[in-house]
Amino acid sequence: MMLNIKTRNAAGLAALASVALIVGACAAVDYGESGKVDYTKMSAEELGEYLVMESGSWNMDQEVQEGGTARDRMTQDAMQKVCSETRNQPSPEQAGQIIADARASIQYPEGGIRLGDWRNGRDLSWGGFGFRIVHNPDDHSLREPSGNCYNCHTMDPARPGGNLGPSLTGYGAQRGNNEATRRFVYEMIYNPHAYFPCTAMPRMGAKNLLSEQAIADIMAYVLHPDSPVNR
Amino acid sequence: MIRPMLLALPLALAVGVTAHADHLKENPVDVLMRVIEEVPDSPYLLQSEQNLMMMEDNPNLWTVEDGKDLFYAARGPNNVSLETCDFGKGPGELEGAYAEMPRYFEDTGRVMDLEARLVHCMMEIQGFAADDPAVRQRHGSGSDHMKLQSYIASWSNGIPWNPPMDHPLERAMRDAGEYIFYRRAGSLDMSCQTCHYETGKRIRASVLPNSRVPQEWTKAISWPAFRVGHDHSRSSQHRIRGCYWQMRQAGPVAGSDGTIALISFWTDLARGQPAILPDMKR
Repeated sequence: MMLNIKTRNAAGLAALASVALIVGACAAVDYGESGKVDYTKMSAEELGEYLVMESGSWNMDQEVQEGGTARDRMTQDAMQKVCSETRNQPSPEQAGQIIADARASIQYPEGGIRLGDWRNGRDLSWGGFGFRIVHNPDDHSLREPSGNCYNCHTMDPARPGGNLGPSLTGYGAQRGNNEATRRFVYEMIYNPHAYFPCTAMPRMGAKNLLSEQAIADIMAYVLHPDSPVNR
Repeated sequence: MIRPMLLALPLALAVGVTAHADHLKENPVDVLMRVIEEVPDSPYLLQSEQNLMMMEDNPNLWTVEDGKDLFYAARGPNNVSLETCDFGKGPGELEGAYAEMPRYFEDTGRVMDLEARLVHCMMEIQGFAADDPAVRQRHGSGSDHMKLQSYIASWSNGIPWNPPMDHPLERAMRDAGEYIFYRRAGSLDMSCQTCHYETGKRIRASVLPNSRVPQEWTKAISWPAFRVGHDHSRSSQHRIRGCYWQMRQAGPVAGSDGTIALISFWTDLARGQPAILPDMKR
């Protein structure tokens, strides 16, 4: 029942030493008298967090494209934590806080929200490159990270798109390209939790996954009348 | 469109599979057809008519045969076979063993998945070093691991998933696995739930299995399977690594307690549904 530290690998040992310092404050994890971890005395959340963050089960030391290490990516922020705990069904109070935080995160381009080049936006919407690590890390010096939009959305109906998100085919043709629509689309791409707390959609702006220009180009692909999305 | 062809399929296939692996009492495609009969409109199970038809010639059946040779061969520094390895049902007892993994093993004091248990036996019984290619190389149809895992797993074909929950560690690992399954993190804020919580969802053209529909989920977790797009047989641990790569999260360490917790939870979700081994996936 007790896991002997001697059988664990060196990385686990190092992680264990560091968690002992951190967990001291929580006092929730029972390490027993001789530094042994008893999984059966931990709640599912305590053991889950221990396994992810401290047990050496994931390679936390790998460098990531945005700087820092994979540990930063695995450390949850407030939104990720609440949405995980509630399985994406936040209470009204929690939803209100997520929306407020998301709104506060949004930065707008100087000189207003404009459309870029829909042809470049087409390629960025289609591409799935960027920010992958593990056994096959994406080298951002070779290519600009793209938007992964087609993973979840149908856009140009001639190309296969996913359906985790709504279809965007004809989006610009239906809504036009006015200030209010541009603002909504920009905010949705930048941080969609401002409108849909605990949405599955990534925060492409707030997490710096797409540049300001890339967002403008993808917006043009969605909204420009000449784009195949709207023709 | 797809169903009339499928109904004719098992008859046509009944002979062929036994030529490869004579310990398979049931053709894996027949097992899959039984599952499909329960959810005849499943978009995930019916997404590729071609794959269903090709299961008769599943290249993993050759990998199973290679694994059989390896399993009974005297190998490693100790020059012994794996026949004394206990996968949970007694030394060398393979029938239904994988369908009841991960499980707690007294001799290691750990809950182990098939891959971790195999590593343990290769090192402890056969005397292989951890950095020996036989132990270290985990992926690719040509690896010892894929051959051995495919062979051992195939002895659970058609047998309902039934991972034991008697030991407190088995329950603790399953529950922690559930927590991890729903834990959003990484650049894209994703968790396993993002893709595996609804029926008929797609990433681009690929239909995703719903973890809440056991009939879909048993196929999803039936590894090793031949992945047509990779032209290789793949393991549970390979599937986990691929998902974490796509989610832009940290890389899982094969054999770690975190990955075994996830596998404990995902196997529990398929409880009662027959394992399809070997399976063939897109």
